[in-house]
Amino acid sequence: MALKIPIPGRKKETAPEPGDGAANGNGASPNGTNGDGPTRAEKVAKVKEATVHHGTAAAKNTTDWLDERVNGTGIYTAMLSRKVPKGTNWFYTLGSSVMFIFSMQAITGVFLAMYYTPSATEAYSSISHITNEVFLGEFVRGLHKWGASLMIILIFLHMARTFFFGAYKYPRELNWVIGVVLIVLTMVMGLTGYLLPFDQRSFWATIVANNITASGPVLGPYLADFLRAGPDFSATTLSRFYALHMLVVPGLIGGLIAAHLFLVVKLGTTAPPWIKAPRPKGSRPSELVPAGVPMVDATEMSLNGHSGNGHVEVSENGASLPTAETDGAAEGPPSEGEAS
Amino acid sequence: MKARDKEEYLSEYEILKKKGKSFFPYAIVKDSVMFVLVAAVLILMSIVMGAEQGPKADPTTTTYVPRPEWYFFFLFELLKVIKPPALVPLATIGIPTICMILLILLPFYDRNPERIPWKRPVASISGILVIVAMGYLTYMGASAGSPNEIELETAPEFEQGKQVVAQAGCLACHNIGENGAEGGLGPNLTEIGAMLPREAIKRSVAIGPGIMPSYRGLGEKKLNEVADYLASLD
Ligand code: HEM
Repeated sequence: MALKIPIPGRKKETAPEPGDGAANGNGASPNGTNGDGPTRAEKVAKVKEATVHHGTAAAKNTTDWLDERVNGTGIYTAMLSRKVPKGTNWFYTLGSSVMFIFSMQAITGVFLAMYYTPSATEAYSSISHITNEVFLGEFVRGLHKWGASLMIILIFLHMARTFFFGAYKYPRELNWVIGVVLIVLTMVMGLTGYLLPFDQRSFWATIVANNITASGPVLGPYLADFLRAGPDFSATTLSRFYALHMLVVPGLIGGLIAAHLFLVVKLGTTAPPWIKAPRPKGSRPSELVPAGVPMVDATEMSLNGHSGNGHVEVSENGASLPTAETDGAAEGPPSEGEAS
Repeated sequence: MKARDKEEYLSEYEILKKKGKSFFPYAIVKDSVMFVLVAAVLILMSIVMGAEQGPKADPTTTTYVPRPEWYFFFLFELLKVIKPPALVPLATIGIPTICMILLILLPFYDRNPERIPWKRPVASISGILVIVAMGYLTYMGASAGSPNEIELETAPEFEQGKQVVAQAGCLACHNIGENGAEGGLGPNLTEIGAMLPREAIKRSVAIGPGIMPSYRGLGEKKLNEVADYLASLD
């Protein structure tokens, strides 16, 4: 199975000339054999040959070795040399800014965690220690504190952008759903983090927040009990908030960001809605691109490569004919007549 | 969206994408400029504003201001808009939950294939209204006055209780006379003595009904002073 990852750099040399679409059939064969791919022996020979002919290319060898196993080139082409549509503007930097600030929060958070003690008796003094004694302590606390506010602002702006650009519409609905969960989790980060300095303000605000939670119907009281770790605010409450704040919620956010970005790369980012493709007079758009061909780049397909059968033949102009399996995964356009 | 609309969108998108630029370096450059900008703002904020530390958390204290982070102000203020106690759960959980559901399901009920903002006025105007409402509520929350002062005159024997009420931050949610949260979270206390007997007032302060925190931590003596003072308001 390991060798079934398509290796773009290699395929040209070793794969038999693809007849239009024929190789696809092979790639998708149900038993998963690598019909059109080189055999293992051939590959080894190839690598040996390369070594002999370019004896100095140790570095190239290493990259080849890695490539053969992790398909770095494929990931590189899929992530970086993908195209962003015409008209992409500054509003499209908001999403990655959120990601940037989330990484900043992760880094400053790790440093704070090195000095912070999540116990009701010591939390406050450990924060004083960070603020007053640790080298750059107050600065790092400031970065983390104000970073939280900036992240909220940027995430709202990013959401507003995708809303007004209609970017949540087909085929990106899922990315919107993931996004809403992300914004809620980000607010949960704010809520759980607010208690940690354990000063008056954070303590009492958290009590009110908890009472608010408890006033909810049906689940409210249980949720509040869970957050407080019991019917009353206690020492465990603080460590519970800490665990949520530095392990559970950031873990969820990280995973969901990965899913979010996977979809961004796979589906591509929208063009601003007012940008229209110039098309020859009278022609229907479906004449320009044959119906039934999913709008997925060859570069994007390599992300799917790991699924096993994702063999894609790259034609000269970069268009690709994906296999049936990836077609389904990419939620390709419906065939004629399919209800929406 | 109809199958036809989907197909049309995808083919149009394909063309625009073909005409686009490579993510690296073109989009990366923009992203990086933005990163530098964000980092600069962040560094500036933490240098200028630092990270203050308030007084240590003390469950028995009488001076605190229960205010959330600014980005929760809009939720907090929403509570003040909805007054009757029976409706409080609606404000605390109901409305936010409904809003979340509406938000998460947006792509599934907005099935209009149009994407240009000015050609889908219902969506765009709703979006703008939501932003204005949230902005307004946040502003209201931010501009709420200091909750530690009561100007209403009182008889000398109740002065002690008045001080406790002022310092305990009751006015973050309640009003007394001219002071306190305009249209606060909790009921107006200016004439509370005329509405509730002293014992009931004392019990409420101790228990913290609804979303109000319990003030049992004040201790028996201060609780009595508070109850005496509030019962004198009529
Ligand atoms: C941790 C939070 C988030 C991160 C790191 C993130 C990151 C990104 C990035 C990097 C993109 C690429 C395009 C761009 O930057 O505009 C993107 C696209 C997108 N995001 Fe987010 N996002 C987050 C939260 C959200 C939220 C809260 C929503 C909406 C509720 C959302 C909805 C979308 C949609 C619909 C797209 C596709 C936009 C397009 O193709 O034009 N995201 N996101």
